[in-house]
Amino acid sequence: MLYDLRHSDLRVRWLVTLLLATLGTSYLFGAWMVALYAGFSPRKVAETYGPAGEAVMAMQMPPDTTMVTERPVSTAEMGEEMHHVDRDLLVQDTHVHMPMYAVIAACLSVITLGLTVPRWAGLAIITLLFAAPWLDFAGMWLTKLASPRFAIVTLTGGWAMALGYGIVAALATYQMWWRKP
Amino acid sequence: MKTLVFGAVTAVLLHITPTVVLVKRQDAVTRLLPGADQFAAREVHLSSTDSRRIHDAVGWEPPDGMVTFYVGKRQDQVTGALMFMRVDCQHGPLELAIGFDPSGTIRGVEVTKATVEMKPWVLDALRAGLTDAYRGLGLEQPPAGAERVKSKIGAMPGYMAELIDKGVMHAAAAYRLFYGRK
Repeated sequence: MLYDLRHSDLRVRWLVTLLLATLGTSYLFGAWMVALYAGFSPRKVAETYGPAGEAVMAMQMPPDTTMVTERPVSTAEMGEEMHHVDRDLLVQDTHVHMPMYAVIAACLSVITLGLTVPRWAGLAIITLLFAAPWLDFAGMWLTKLASPRFAIVTLTGGWAMALGYGIVAALATYQMWWRKP
Repeated sequence: MKTLVFGAVTAVLLHITPTVVLVKRQDAVTRLLPGADQFAAREVHLSSTDSRRIHDAVGWEPPDGMVTFYVGKRQDQVTGALMFMRVDCQHGPLELAIGFDPSGTIRGVEVTKATVEMKPWVLDALRAGLTDAYRGLGLEQPPAGAERVKSKIGAMPGYMAELIDKGVMHAAAAYRLFYGRK
C-alpha cells in the first residue's frame, strides 16, 4: 500500500469524500443524460451510434444505387430530434471525453492505492477503472464501423464505469469513516 | 500529483461547451415551411458514387451516407422543403435549418443550435443581418453571407458566419443533387 486512507489526515479523507460525492453526482447526471440521448438498451445505443435512418440494421454498407424512402412525419417528430451520433461527432466526442475519463480513472485509482485491499484486488480495480472508458468508446466505434451488435460493448463499458466507481466509493467511505484498526 | 492537476486542467480547457438551442426546431419548421400542414421525411441513402459526387462538388459528404429532407405540403401541394445541417468546428457543432421554396431557391436559414461558447458570436453575426444574405439564393450561387457582414463584426462572429456559409453551401448542393431523386 502506498498510503493508507484509514490513517490519513482528516483533510485528505475530507478531500476524497468530497471528490467521490462530486463524481457520484456527475455520474448520476451522466446516467440521466444517457437515458435522454442514447438509452440503456442495445437497440437504442445501436440507433444512436450506428448508421443513420430507419433501416439501422439493414444499411451497414452504402447501397449500390442511391435509395429514397419517404414517410409522413408530424411537426412534433421533426422537432424531436433523434439524437444520432455520426462519425464526425463521434470523433469530437472521443477527443473530448477520453481525456476527462482518463483523469477520473486516475483520481479513482489514486484513491484505490490508499485502500486496504490485497494487491491483486487493487490491480483489478485499477484495470476496471481504465477498461470501462475504453470499452465505452470501443463499443461506440465498433457499433458505427462494424456492427450494431457491438452496442452491448458500450453498455458493458457504461456499467463497468458505474461498478468501478461504486466499488471505490463504497470501500473508501467504509475504510475512511467506519473501519478503524 | 502535478501531472494529475495538469491533466485535469488540460481536460477542462479542451472540453467543448454544451449545446444550447437558439431556435426550437418546431419554430424553424413554422418559419421555413409556412402554411404547410402535412410533412414527410424524405430520406436519401447515398450510394458510394453519389457520396463521391457531392464530395467532389463541395468537399463534404453526409458522414453516415444519408440526407433527410423534410417536405412541407398543403392540400397535397408541396410548399417547400427543409434540411437540418450540422457544421462542426473545434469549438463544437452548429446546427442550421435551411428552407427551400418549391422552385429550389433558399427561402431562409435559421441557426437552431450552437455551443455556449459560440452562442454570442453567432448572435453577433445574426444581428448583423447574416441570414438576410441567403434569402432567394439560387442553388448554384455560392453563399456569401460572411463577406456581407464581416466589416460590421469581430473575428469570431466572422468565423461563425463563414461556417454558416459552409453549411448553407452543403445543404444547397445536397438539394440540387438529390432532392429530386425518386
